[in-house]
Amino acid sequence: MSAWGLKLASLLTTVFVLAGSYGYALTHVKNAAAPLQPPVADKPVATAAPAATSTPLPSLVGIRRGNPPRSTAAPAPLLNLTPGVQATALPAITFTHVS
Amino acid sequence: MDPQLLVWIVARAMGLAAYIALCIAVLSGIALRTAVLDWLAKNRAMRALHDWTTWLWIPLGSLHVLALLLDKTAQIGLADLVLPFRVEYGSLAIGLGTLSLDLLVVITVTSWLRRRMNDELWRWIHRTSYLMFVLLFVHALLSGTDFNAPLISAVSWSAAGGIALLATSRIVLGRLPQ
Repeated sequence: MSAWGLKLASLLTTVFVLAGSYGYALTHVKNAAAPLQPPVADKPVATAAPAATSTPLPSLVGIRRGNPPRSTAAPAPLLNLTPGVQATALPAITFTHVS
Repeated sequence: MDPQLLVWIVARAMGLAAYIALCIAVLSGIALRTAVLDWLAKNRAMRALHDWTTWLWIPLGSLHVLALLLDKTAQIGLADLVLPFRVEYGSLAIGLGTLSLDLLVVITVTSWLRRRMNDELWRWIHRTSYLMFVLLFVHALLSGTDFNAPLISAVSWSAAGGIALLATSRIVLGRLPQ
């Protein structure tokens, strides 16, 4: 085999191994059996309040007089659960009248 | 893709590819002296291959090291590339890689300066390639994340086995008869 043939074969072998190992590493990002497990710096546990979520409302269309509910193409409106209490300039409530 | 994930994958892929390229370099180097690969190519072609493999493993090995430097999880600093056994975890496994890298740099630089060097000194320095490869193999064995994968393990052990066989024949028998 000529020198160029040997060089080409070695290049192809290396590129093949490189592509194969890249593909393998890409599909096996974490290996629990890896011999080296670097210590990970302690991260503070997240204590923030869970984010508000939007919950879809149940369908407002019910069975009426035996008719089946109409199909709705549009999704049901979303209920926003973010805090809605707002401060006002009114005096604080000190008495609640009961009749 | 997360940049940290990318450097981690690149470090692993480049490490294995550099290992294979170095296997070819060592194999072709031994073949120059043992004639066991004479059926494959003449010595001149084998010598050309041996010289050319430098341009295969230098970029691959450099990218392996650079990716590990950029990888925050690996926690490897610039000094760890030169001074072995400084990393707090896997000190031996990573330190052997540092030692093999140091030897590799010395072997490569002295090869480029061969004409300006004493031939006998160069020859002895070049013989440390065997030691360098043993250190590299143990480094890969002890720290290689993918070394336990069957296919990768088979390729790596086969390459190392072939080199061990040729090196033994070189040491025991000298240059084999044609």
